[in-house]
Amino acid sequence: MATPPLSSVPAETKKTPVRQPSAGQALHYKLVITLYRVFAITMLYSVLAGILAYAFVMGFYAINSSWAAPVILSASDEKSLAFREQLVMSQQTIEDVKVDAQKMESGIAEMTKHRAALVALEPELSGAIARERAHNSATGPQLAALDAQKQADNSKTQSVLAQLRQVESNINKDLAAGLITKGDAATQLSALNQAESSYTDSKIAEVMLTDNVLQKTTTGTDSLEVLEKQAELRSEAAQLDVAINVAQKELEEDTRQIDRLRQAIATAKQSPYYLNAAGGQTLYFAFVPYDNRASAVAGNPIYDCYLNMIVCHKVGEVKQIFTGEQEAIHPIFKTQIRGFLIQMNLNGDESAKSRTVFLGRKPMLF
Amino acid sequence: MAPVLLWLIMVLCLLVSVVKYVMGIILKVSFPSAKVQKDYSYQPTVSVLMPCFNEGKTVYETIESISRCNYPAEKFEVIAQDDCSVDDSYEWMLKAQRDFTNIRIRTGRNAANSGKARTVCNAMEHSSAEIIISIDSDCIFHEDAISELTACFTEPQIGSVGGRVGVRNPNDSVITAIQAVIYYSAFQLYKIPENWTRSVCCISGCLFAIRRELLLEIEPAIRARHWFGIPVNQGEDRFLTHQTLLRGYGTYINNDALCWTTVPNTLSVLFKQQLRWRRSIVRDFFYTLKTLPQHVWKLHPNAVWTLILTPLGALIGFLVVLTALTSDPLAWAGPVPLVAALGIGAVLTWVIKKYSAREAVAHPLAFGAYVAWSMVSSLLLTPLALFTMDSADWGTRTKEASEVAVGDTTS
Repeated sequence: MATPPLSSVPAETKKTPVRQPSAGQALHYKLVITLYRVFAITMLYSVLAGILAYAFVMGFYAINSSWAAPVILSASDEKSLAFREQLVMSQQTIEDVKVDAQKMESGIAEMTKHRAALVALEPELSGAIARERAHNSATGPQLAALDAQKQADNSKTQSVLAQLRQVESNINKDLAAGLITKGDAATQLSALNQAESSYTDSKIAEVMLTDNVLQKTTTGTDSLEVLEKQAELRSEAAQLDVAINVAQKELEEDTRQIDRLRQAIATAKQSPYYLNAAGGQTLYFAFVPYDNRASAVAGNPIYDCYLNMIVCHKVGEVKQIFTGEQEAIHPIFKTQIRGFLIQMNLNGDESAKSRTVFLGRKPMLF
Repeated sequence: MAPVLLWLIMVLCLLVSVVKYVMGIILKVSFPSAKVQKDYSYQPTVSVLMPCFNEGKTVYETIESISRCNYPAEKFEVIAQDDCSVDDSYEWMLKAQRDFTNIRIRTGRNAANSGKARTVCNAMEHSSAEIIISIDSDCIFHEDAISELTACFTEPQIGSVGGRVGVRNPNDSVITAIQAVIYYSAFQLYKIPENWTRSVCCISGCLFAIRRELLLEIEPAIRARHWFGIPVNQGEDRFLTHQTLLRGYGTYINNDALCWTTVPNTLSVLFKQQLRWRRSIVRDFFYTLKTLPQHVWKLHPNAVWTLILTPLGALIGFLVVLTALTSDPLAWAGPVPLVAALGIGAVLTWVIKKYSAREAVAHPLAFGAYVAWSMVSSLLLTPLALFTMDSADWGTRTKEASEVAVGDTTS
């Protein structure tokens, strides 16, 4: 198909007329459009401002190293309660151990005293044994000699008594013969009986002397009993030594345990959760990420700011730093971060509710 | 409560999108019957309307590509209508008219700058063909494009048929690469379930065929389009498709009818183009809500879902991104979203390379960039679109008046 010449095609096309709105409708449109434009401009600038502010906040918190996030710990806080419970248990354990230690100390004192008494008795016993041995060794031979002499005397007496029995028969013969009176005879016979009785006494004395000599010159059962007593004394002292030693070690262990528990409690008392649970007054804490640790110095001023970063004013200072690691959610980025807690001295409650505060200096210089 | 509701609606929108992509794959692979039974012997008369504004030499190349179409020359014509370009576009049109004598080419010029939609209507006044094909003046057309479009009109209930738009410059930059992926997945997957029910909700204006009588019926509405008295020139393709559906006709995209467009290769131009599209989506959404009962009773549920949930996703997406950024700013940058995005991107780029080598994307991080772009566009485009509904600016073709550069070629 041939292309038509240029002149045959209209250079300009007639525009189909479009129905124009009425005056009232036009006014209505104008009003709506005006309101829409005002609203739209406001909204768009708000969105733009929001986006810029958002980007700025993100950038700000990405590079700022002095922010901290206030943390409100309630008295019924789970960690605080658990902490307090542990603390009470530790203190109870200390008391129990202290009672045990006191008992142990009393026992040791008693045993030491008993042992001292035993130990004091032992030399006396040894002295007595020695003295007795010395006496025996001195008197034993004398007694033995006396015993021998006694035996000899008794032998002589026995032979005399045999002669006396002849005398007695003579007396009886004399009496029968009437040579002597009955009185004389009785007197003479009585003297003979007395002599025999003396002999018997002398024999008894000899036997007893022999027994004494035996006791003094040999180790008898009595001596053995004394020695046994001495051994028991020593054994008891040794047992007391062991018991005292064990008790002392247990006491030392108890003392160490008490020290350790006291140390643990002392450390625990430095925890914000203990302070929060134990303290009657309102305490203020803040989480500081490790990246911002340089700003967390006791005594540093704390600033609270409008919109989390501008128009800052001093609201208190850092009171103390807690060393225990804490995990928290980043107040802006909402990511898990690690750091530690600080205690703040704040002038009022409001700053404790802020999302962030700044340590050391104002973040934006105003 | 409000954020939860936002998330729920967003999840619903995403779910519908995901279902549509999955359904697209299933229908494409398993249900060839979902396609229109094309009849190439049906050869109605065709007018190819080409509105043009500040396209320069590209308009010549576009007409050149149409001149190579294998549709019977006596059955089609090109009507190029210039919308008062300030550059040499009109001269290039005249040159094309002189050079490509194998086809009938008419050229015309609006009395005043009127916008694309009205320029199409103006061009149509010169046409008497049975089928009107509106094209963009910056596209290159496949030689089978016209016959592929007309072959679909054998189904009498089909009122409008679109073609597939490919990206000519996928590897100019990351910007163009991500658009190549988006264009491909939109035409090859996302719109397939809409095709199945003959209820495509937006046929691209790059290649848009419509029955003459239907366009004539819609024309007054096109010319009368305004927003509180301000003429609406944008989103004519979405409007035409929507009107086709509301008039009881079916809409369809024939992916064998191909044309190629040069997509923006700079962020600013892309932003302006996307803003224009977003305005069209928002405007169309409000129109849908305004006439919802009519939609519910007349349209296929698939079309209603798409007409409501697609723009709703865009609107809610803004609030969801805003909520996400303020409640959990770094969540979107986590490994899971990143790996998921890159994984989907890798699969899509592989598919494009395998099935459409001409559009193969060389930028490996294109889809990752697309995710970043989605965030930015969700955050900025929707509020911008919502609050610039009164803008009639096309945005991407504004030029200062220049000297005619092809004066010697028109002699």
